Amino acid sequence: MISIDYRSGKSIYEQIADEFEHLISQGILESDSQLPSVRQLAVELSINPNTIQKAYSELENRGLIYSIRGKGNFVAAESESLKQKKLQQFYKNLTELIQEAHRSGIDEEEIRKALMAHLKK
Amino acid sequence: MIQANQVCKSFGNIQAVNQVDLTIRSGEVFGLIGSNGAGKSTFLRMLCGVYRPDSGKLTIDEEEVYENVTLKKRCFYISDDQYFLNNSTPEEMKNYYRMFYENFDQERFHKLMKGFDLNPQRKIRTFSKGMKKQVSVICGICTGVDYLFCDETFDGLDPVARQAVKSLFAEDVAERKLTPIIASHNLRELEDICDHVGLLHKGGILLSQDLEELKLGIHKMQCAFTTPKTATDFQGIEIVHIQQRGSLYTITAKGNEEEIRKHIQNMDPIFYEILPLTLEEIFINETEVAGYDIKKLIF
Repeated sequence: MISIDYRSGKSIYEQIADEFEHLISQGILESDSQLPSVRQLAVELSINPNTIQKAYSELENRGLIYSIRGKGNFVAAESESLKQKKLQQFYKNLTELIQEAHRSGIDEEEIRKALMAHLKK
Repeated sequence: MIQANQVCKSFGNIQAVNQVDLTIRSGEVFGLIGSNGAGKSTFLRMLCGVYRPDSGKLTIDEEEVYENVTLKKRCFYISDDQYFLNNSTPEEMKNYYRMFYENFDQERFHKLMKGFDLNPQRKIRTFSKGMKKQVSVICGICTGVDYLFCDETFDGLDPVARQAVKSLFAEDVAERKLTPIIASHNLRELEDICDHVGLLHKGGILLSQDLEELKLGIHKMQCAFTTPKTATDFQGIEIVHIQQRGSLYTITAKGNEEEIRKHIQNMDPIFYEILPLTLEEIFINETEVAGYDIKKLIF
């Protein structure tokens, strides 16, 4: 379910948190479903349980999961903040893409055309 | 918790460990890295009470280890060149360890031997190097100790066995707060399991830091400028290493990623990118600063 890229500059706990965020935002993990336990995931990925714990704390901070003492971690219901975050991420991606296009010498008209074509689909 | 305070150890006129200060918290996975002959094994042998420090204080849970039987029952040492009783089998080694470690989990031992596909009745001397390591790890894990000292334990294990051993460690860290201390120079190996690393060089400790912080505190950049730059242009960021090829600069710098990014942006580069640094590169950088560069001597 989760794969780790050791060559990435991102730390392992961030990678795990981001992957879960992705799974949650895509709706693959439904709200109130249980996440694997720290021990289970640590054994599965052969990594330090403290790292997994850190990833889960990070997800809790982001408001994506909630934990019940003695029971485990569960996916939180989709919140306003998650929607906001998705929107922000979208703007960021778009900005980068447009900058990239500028650098490659693609003009405004071209970008607009491509964008409109996609929106119609 | 393990605490070392100004620990020294020398053999004749060889200073193996020199004024080492170190703190290892319980329940964290500690990686001890260092150049060849840096004193890693000597330090581990002091930790498990084989050697006595010449000076300084070395305590586990606030007690000195040397000749401390009750404390030693909570530690297991997997030496680099493991010792097995003459002509013994894993089964016999297990019974031997049971004499010292009362909580030895026999059920788990048999389960793991089966899992690793090792025959407990076969003579250990007929085992390969990697299989011997596996036997030691299995024995160590099954003793149920709080501290496990591993000297080059992943050395000689095949990739599948390595993953399995890491999972074993992970399980016990999660379940019962085992504290593994792993000495190695295979840094890739430590990267995914350690919380904290200590870097030894020539008997002294160069740094001891959280792995995350360590990686966040040093960056490698590639950037190109239209006009040539000199050292003064880079003033304001802490440069560790700089290399220039034409207009392309490769810079290793310490500090906050944002600040470095800002500084480079202000210099108006044609392009720049920040590349991740592996633990291996950090190791090379840190020891180079301390004057360790074999390549320079040979070529």
